[in-house]
Amino acid sequence: MTKLSLNYKLVKEFILDFIKEETISNGFERGILGLSGGVDSALVAYLAAEALGRKNVKALLLPYKTTSPDSLTDAMLVVKDIGIPYEKIDITKIADPYFNEEKLNNNLRIGNFLARVRMSVIFDKAFEFGAIVLGTSNKSELMLGYSTWYGDMAAGIYPIGDLYKTQVWELAKFVGVPEKIINKKPTADLWPGQTDEGELGAPYNDLDVILNLYIDKRKSKEEIISMGFDKKLVENVFNRVYKSQYKRTLPPVAKFSPRTVGIDFLYPHDFKR
Amino acid sequence: MKVKIALAQINPYLGDLDKNISKHTEFIEKAIENKADVVVFPELSLTGYKLNDLTQEVALKPCDTLLSPIFELSKHIDISFGLVEKGEDEIPYNSAIYLENGKVKNVYRKIYLPTHGMFQELRFFGRGERVKVFDTKYGRVGVLICRDFFHPSLAFLAYAQKADFLFAMSNMPLRGVEGDKPGIQYMVEHTAYVYANFFSEFVVFVNRVGFEDGMGFYGGSFVETPFGNVLGFSGILKENLSFAEIETEDIFYRRQSFPLMREEDFYLIKRNLDSILSSEDLK
Repeated sequence: MTKLSLNYKLVKEFILDFIKEETISNGFERGILGLSGGVDSALVAYLAAEALGRKNVKALLLPYKTTSPDSLTDAMLVVKDIGIPYEKIDITKIADPYFNEEKLNNNLRIGNFLARVRMSVIFDKAFEFGAIVLGTSNKSELMLGYSTWYGDMAAGIYPIGDLYKTQVWELAKFVGVPEKIINKKPTADLWPGQTDEGELGAPYNDLDVILNLYIDKRKSKEEIISMGFDKKLVENVFNRVYKSQYKRTLPPVAKFSPRTVGIDFLYPHDFKR
Repeated sequence: MKVKIALAQINPYLGDLDKNISKHTEFIEKAIENKADVVVFPELSLTGYKLNDLTQEVALKPCDTLLSPIFELSKHIDISFGLVEKGEDEIPYNSAIYLENGKVKNVYRKIYLPTHGMFQELRFFGRGERVKVFDTKYGRVGVLICRDFFHPSLAFLAYAQKADFLFAMSNMPLRGVEGDKPGIQYMVEHTAYVYANFFSEFVVFVNRVGFEDGMGFYGGSFVETPFGNVLGFSGILKENLSFAEIETEDIFYRRQSFPLMREEDFYLIKRNLDSILSSEDLK
């Protein structure tokens, strides 16, 4: 399998400048993020601390009662290693009253709800800390729609949003994220035993190569299948991308005025007057 | 003649004319202190790139008094900079202005406005019509803006007018991070190498740096001599004012040792082009 290799020295320098400049052009000097113990948020924490200064980046550890203890240990490892301020807030007492009221036992509903509770806490704490919310979504999950709309996707900027998961691992190595975090199985940890690759049906090594061929190299489904990839897997990847397009765009606005949000009111995001 | 060219690889403030005029004067003053003969800025250096609906709001006539600090400094150094030009036809153009001795020497309007993928220029700008050259105290200059540079046909039009210098004022966003340098820079360097060698001219590539809505401009400015040597490289991703000291005699030597310009038959090209364009097959 071809590896999607990059010049990680250049990528790192580019992302550091991106974080610095986009934070400022959004009107902030500080950043805040939810730190799960996984590689994506760990990587963003390392990059942000280097770009904005350690004191200017805050990590939020937001466990639920089913969160694996390893996740917390790993998040603490990151916090201690970088030396950034952090807060731990157990969201069980926020989420459980609702779950009990609704008698919820659907993993997907619980998982999405937890992601949105975390979002609410992160944005509130962002206000308190005077910081922009640093998104930790990577290109694989953004493209596959493997993330919660207005949950973990909610953020001010996406520093690693153009890196596939396998590239996140490589950049994490380059940046010096602890091996233990890079080597563990990717999981959203929304319920016990959940893993990304279990849910997505294939290892990221395969998913990323298919996504890269489709998205960056503009190959058709048929071309990719003819290259020897499993037909069902390729179709699954394409369907996930198609079905999740709504998550990657502004909601459609019923247009009838001369200038409409999202359609023809086209000021740049970064403009400040 | 020895000429010192200053490459102003700046990071403009998006849509903020006042701040950008200050940035221009700061860089120009530094170029004057360093005894440069000319200072070249990137495309849209006065406004930033991703203007979209801001385009109309930052459009200026070249005679606008807002520009007088820059005009004033051009009494001490030649200046080439980019702006949204409000044309006499009241259409906004993506233009480059060349100032000399406090006066406008030339206005070039970008011809090929990329409108695909991340680019939307034809939605906001009128299209330029002519590649003109103009004579400065150090030689004849032709200007192209960003995408224009990737059209050899436009570089050829400057060559047909015997340009000694080709300015490529750019806002190239980074894409391609597999190699030692940004992927797009390889293409720029190859293009500059070919033009400089085959058109026996100096190529002055100036690209901006900084981020706008996630797009990152990477810099990488440099001057290519007619012998294919790179001078004054500005580095990537960071603001910088770099200098290239060149010898204009190189143009003469190049046109002697590799006399493509003397061989060139522009009328033959014209006859061929006329015949191609009048061919029934094209209609």
